[in-house]
Amino acid sequence: MSDDGWPEPAVDYVQAIADTKILLGQRYGEWMLKGPNLEDDISGASNAQDEIGQVRQLFRVLTRQGVDDEWLESERAPDEYANAATLDTEADAWPTFIVQVALTDRAAWLLLDAIDHDDFTGMVQKMGEDEYFHLEHHDGRLETLAEDQPEAVEAALEDYFPDILAFVGPATHDAESDPLVDAGFTDRPAAEIRRALAEHYADLFAGTEVSVPPLDDGVPDPDAWDETRRRVGDGHVDADVVDQLQGVSNREYVIA
Amino acid sequence: MKYHVFTRVSAGDDLMHVGTVQADSDRLARIYAHRTYDEEDWDFIGVVHEENLIEVEGQPIAGGRTA
Repeated sequence: MSDDGWPEPAVDYVQAIADTKILLGQRYGEWMLKGPNLEDDISGASNAQDEIGQVRQLFRVLTRQGVDDEWLESERAPDEYANAATLDTEADAWPTFIVQVALTDRAAWLLLDAIDHDDFTGMVQKMGEDEYFHLEHHDGRLETLAEDQPEAVEAALEDYFPDILAFVGPATHDAESDPLVDAGFTDRPAAEIRRALAEHYADLFAGTEVSVPPLDDGVPDPDAWDETRRRVGDGHVDADVVDQLQGVSNREYVIA
Repeated sequence: MKYHVFTRVSAGDDLMHVGTVQADSDRLARIYAHRTYDEEDWDFIGVVHEENLIEVEGQPIAGGRTA
């Protein structure tokens, strides 16, 4: 347990949520000037701003747990970011982008909402007010894309589903075995969040030509799963993305 | 599809037309309106599909005059 009550796996858990949100902010930002219409651009810009604001709050609680703030903000290598692997690369088309951020933003919200700890009371409720608009935007867009471009949506779902399941956690982390539930830090095991995520998209795409990938209990392989970075394998974002996140090219203008 | 956005600052105020959004569904229109016109702490914000606006126009009456 850490000094004020967080169990050890909780720091990694919150770090992964925070890093996923900083990359969500990056991906929203990349698309906010090239969406199909102005309304999507404005929504994307608002989502980016929300995510960066949430990251600041999550970094604040992480530093209270002893995580170095310089490391968090400006001294990390690409493979030290624990973002969901869904965000490692920029999407190459609008339907792909919407599936990418929809799955990832919803999964991050479900992980955050599962936290049952006093340090997050109030903070998570406020973040949920932001997330309502993100997730409604995604689902509204997915509904229309499922009608207009079902093949593109289905292909993106197949690409991203294994990585988003890895981010949520292995199926073996159920009510009896999820270490964060066991420690009392969360009140919803990964296995239940996986089912909630899959059921949400099955309901959303019911009656359309889009099939949601089956919930494979073997994905991710629990033996290959990296608990710290919540993924399988050693993939990571590109170094130039990390340079942008850390403001490397503008470091001389940092206000001391 | 075009949606008109109406708001009011305080309960009891008349609704004000603040602009429009283009959206493919009512669900998206709600989100776009909130995101685009979020400059105030509105008491109410709502959208109306342009097709649902009832046009008020003069009609010919007997004798060829208009109302």
